[in-house]
Amino acid sequence: MNLPTIDTRYLFFTGKGGVGKTSLSCATGLSLSQRGKKVLIVSTDPASNLSEVLGTPVGHTPTPIAEAPGLFALDLDPRAAAAAYRERMVAPYRGILPEAAIQSMEEQFSGACTVEIAAFDEFARLLADSAATAGFDHIIFDTAPTGHTLRLLTLPSAWDEFIASAPGGASCLGPLAGLQQQRERYAATVARLGNPAETTLVLVSRPERAALREAERTRVELTELGIRNLRLVINGLFADETGDDAIAHAMAERHAAALATIPPGLAALPQSTLPFLPRGTTGLAGLQQLLDGTSPNTCRPVTLPEVTDLPPGLSAFIDELARQDHGVVLTMGKGGVGKTSVAAAIALALAERGKKVTLSTTDPAAHLADALAGETAGLTVTRIDPAAELARYTAEVLEQKGKDLTPEARAMLEEDLHSPCTEEIAVFRAFAHTVAGGTSGFVVLDTAPTGHTILLLDATEAYHREVLRTQGDLPEAVRELLPRLRDPDFTHVCIVTLPESTPVSEAEALEADLERAGIHPFGWVINQSLLASSTRHPCLAERAAYELPFIRRVQQHTRGRCVLIPWLAREPVGRDGLRRLVETEEKSHCCATA
Amino acid sequence: MPKLEVFDPALCCSTGVCGVDVDPALAQFAADLKWLEAHGVTVERYNLGQNPAAFATNPRVLALLQQGNDRLPAVFLDGELLASGAYPDRHALAAKLGLTDVSATDAPASGTCCAAQPAAGQGKSCC
Repeated sequence: MNLPTIDTRYLFFTGKGGVGKTSLSCATGLSLSQRGKKVLIVSTDPASNLSEVLGTPVGHTPTPIAEAPGLFALDLDPRAAAAAYRERMVAPYRGILPEAAIQSMEEQFSGACTVEIAAFDEFARLLADSAATAGFDHIIFDTAPTGHTLRLLTLPSAWDEFIASAPGGASCLGPLAGLQQQRERYAATVARLGNPAETTLVLVSRPERAALREAERTRVELTELGIRNLRLVINGLFADETGDDAIAHAMAERHAAALATIPPGLAALPQSTLPFLPRGTTGLAGLQQLLDGTSPNTCRPVTLPEVTDLPPGLSAFIDELARQDHGVVLTMGKGGVGKTSVAAAIALALAERGKKVTLSTTDPAAHLADALAGETAGLTVTRIDPAAELARYTAEVLEQKGKDLTPEARAMLEEDLHSPCTEEIAVFRAFAHTVAGGTSGFVVLDTAPTGHTILLLDATEAYHREVLRTQGDLPEAVRELLPRLRDPDFTHVCIVTLPESTPVSEAEALEADLERAGIHPFGWVINQSLLASSTRHPCLAERAAYELPFIRRVQQHTRGRCVLIPWLAREPVGRDGLRRLVETEEKSHCCATA
Repeated sequence: MPKLEVFDPALCCSTGVCGVDVDPALAQFAADLKWLEAHGVTVERYNLGQNPAAFATNPRVLALLQQGNDRLPAVFLDGELLASGAYPDRHALAAKLGLTDVSATDAPASGTCCAAQPAAGQGKSCC
């Protein structure tokens, strides 16, 4: 076992979805508890899979893990936290204030910003309030995917700065106003995050270029936030270059090349490396194997069964989409499943069939430019950049709404526009405008990671209700957003997942969320399948065999509305790479036998 | 010292920027209140979304609320109802308070007129 040594009370794991943060935080927690420490593992991910990894249903209060004395876990579902916060604010007035007034109060607490703030408040409570975590020697945060994590981690300084700098003091804190008295707690949170004697932050990355670049981006941002006690864990290194399996060679080469070009800032961090595990790590027994080092590299030659009727390749979806000339394609799923590549491949394929296509991303780690180097006729690439959208929206409001105001009124409006809520609105509007573009051509969006997407959709729902009774001059794009997302002839949601336990569960949860919002997915894309790659390397074949039940589960769940993309020996970068994501039928129909 | 009490509908903030659409009248009214304070008026502002206790414990406000959310905003001057269902503009406030120095107001009338017609049941939802 080669987990980082931890000597601080607080420990954070951060990295893209699917890099193994939950497994690593649980293994670290288990290891510490076995040394007699009392440990609390906390997940702040709306799509948490703590319960799955620990093999015990984890609740919203510290839940003891039966087979592991001293180990406790806690799920901080920001939506549940927001609901609890809303109820705390509203409940005392039920039966006192009229029902209509109660409803308008509840409306105030139903938006994404409230969810974000409620989540942050819970997070701050654990970090700043000694009573909430009294008795625990270590508190380990298995944080949400990077985009969401950063929002969460950025908030302390954002709020701290905001609260301190608002000159009127009565500024637009929105739903935070009820929490304003907890300023001290927020200040303590900021201090604790930046204190190397108290907090360690572990960046987790796969040994792949894109993942390492993402980790470097996170490192820079955290360093700028004053968080400098950082470690790096490279998880899942595949280093076997013996034998003649093309896929195994490609994977080992890709990992080695990625590590050879690791950004210098990352390379300077204390570093641990964990080997490729052919099976996912779920349950305490699996975690124990990870700790004991008994599981890694014990790949035994497996005979893969003759596999028939695997899902077709991505071109099956392209054929169907290309019957139309316009509409919106959304690729959704957890970070790290390849949403961006799939979106870019779909956009390119549609453009090459003569369609007018706009490819747009809300992914903060936008690497579309890399994925689609070069120009293609009919294809436009755009990006929803939160900072740019915020600047644009602020300028627009000041120009349109501020033009008839007195100078001091304009100053107050400008001050309130500094509210952290404004960015959410600006991004939401940009998203709505991008979706509106689907009336005159194809718009392909790779959305932000699941957690954020859920919040975005929540916001959509809240806005939808608000819009129905607001008579202001709302842009048509905003008014029409939810009806458009709900129209299956207009919006085609492709759920992207990997053929593994956690990603499939997460994708199912995402689909359930979408269904609740009245949005019915077009189909599923199972990405990076080793089973479809025709590898015969023992380790990789063992992993490939492990994939089959998950592929079957998706096929059954979607009634066959799914496609399968093999793990590609060459990364899907550039036009040729993206084309290989689409043109894979003969491979995916083939069967991997050993 | 005269006291002005404002009971707002459920707003996320005094200028309403958190809503899906920004109402400039809210920013103007907030500025007008600052102007009143500068002229020695005590201003207390309550928001249904954030200070429900102030509504629940005031029988006159509660009575207005029973008639409907559109009775908000409600503005009281020393306990006397000055406006209900709309924000008064700076001129109206100045007249009631006997303030003659409206020179500081370069507010075009239109900026505050909008405030007179908030949509029924309007509550700027915060983000």
